Amino acid sequence: MFDIDIQSRIPIYEQIYNKVIELIIKGILVENAQLPSVRNLSKELNVNPNTVAKAYQELERSKIIYSLSGRGSFVSEIDREKMKERILEDFDICVRETLQFGLTKDELKNRIDGVSL
Amino acid sequence: MIELKGITKKFDNTIVLDNIDLTINKGTAFGLLGSNGAGKSTILRLLSGVYNQEGGNLTIDGDTVYDNVETKKRVFFVNDETAQFSGYTLTELKNFYKHYYPNFSEELFEKMRLTINLPTDKKISTFSKGMKRQAIVIIALACQTDYLLLDEAFDGLDPTMRIIVKRMLVDAMIDRQLTTIISSHNLKEINELCDTVALLHNGKIVFSRDLDSVKGNIHKVQVVFSQSNENQSQDYTIEELAGEGLEILHFEKSQSVYHIIVKGDTELVKKKIQEKNPVVLDIIPLSLEEIFIYEMEVLGYDFNSLENK
Repeated sequence: MFDIDIQSRIPIYEQIYNKVIELIIKGILVENAQLPSVRNLSKELNVNPNTVAKAYQELERSKIIYSLSGRGSFVSEIDREKMKERILEDFDICVRETLQFGLTKDELKNRIDGVSL
Repeated sequence: MIELKGITKKFDNTIVLDNIDLTINKGTAFGLLGSNGAGKSTILRLLSGVYNQEGGNLTIDGDTVYDNVETKKRVFFVNDETAQFSGYTLTELKNFYKHYYPNFSEELFEKMRLTINLPTDKKISTFSKGMKRQAIVIIALACQTDYLLLDEAFDGLDPTMRIIVKRMLVDAMIDRQLTTIISSHNLKEINELCDTVALLHNGKIVFSRDLDSVKGNIHKVQVVFSQSNENQSQDYTIEELAGEGLEILHFEKSQSVYHIIVKGDTELVKKKIQEKNPVVLDIIPLSLEEIFIYEMEVLGYDFNSLENK
């Protein structure tokens, strides 16, 4: 579930950070769900525990997760506005690329109408 | 904490370490990178008390190492040479180390030994190179020292053994704040294991920083500048871009696309280049391998210079 790309240029802690958010957006990690311990996640990913701890600290600072001492880390109340903003940022990047390639906004709108859940 | 201040090491008249300052915090996994002959193994040998330095101060948690039995009990050095006590059996070798290291755990040793199925009664000389490595690495971990020095120790290990060792290191780092110092040419391994890295070249430290900030501080920039009225791309030379305060490690232009390797804060680099109204601007972080190659290129150590000779 927490697969990361060691060879990637993106720092490992940032990949873990993004992965947790992705899992929240997809509804796999729900409010108050417990995250794997630093020990278990480092072993699963074969990465340095300080790196995992750093990702968790950053997530906590962003109020995406909270920790209870001696019990572990949990998903905070989900800020839907913040998550929406994140998804739309990615959306904007895709849109910009298609516009640069010469697609029209109407074509994109039609495309959006054609996508269903 | 390990502190090296102004460390100089010579062999006869050859300076191997030249006035080095280095701090390694407790609980970190520290990666030593560098070209062959850069001085990585020499640093590890100074840290384990095999060598004494000619100049400067070296302390581990405030104590010296050379000829200091108490400090040496807290440090285990896995040498890059496997030829150690080859007349011993594994049990004899274990007992030898157990005698020196007070925290040795029989339980941990036996657990690891059974996992990888190493024989206890055969002479080490009959072991393969990889098995010799396995033997010394499981002894090293069972000694439960505060500091573990691995000199290219991963190089002879198979993938399963690598994972066993990595998991042991995770436990030791969490449970007892183990500090590991690893020298390796395998940058993938360093990337996974380490949180801090130092790059050495010719006996000097090129940089010593936390790995994430190393990766965040050097970028590959791909840029195309806007075309002027004559339908001609605007040209910039390396000097013009460097004049803007950009620290450029590598500069290449093919057609209208510039490939530039720049050091510095991402936002600052982005701002400086955007002032020139580029049509396309991509800023990509570098892999550790690329960082190694470009940093060394600046120091005149690269494969291109070989081809030009």
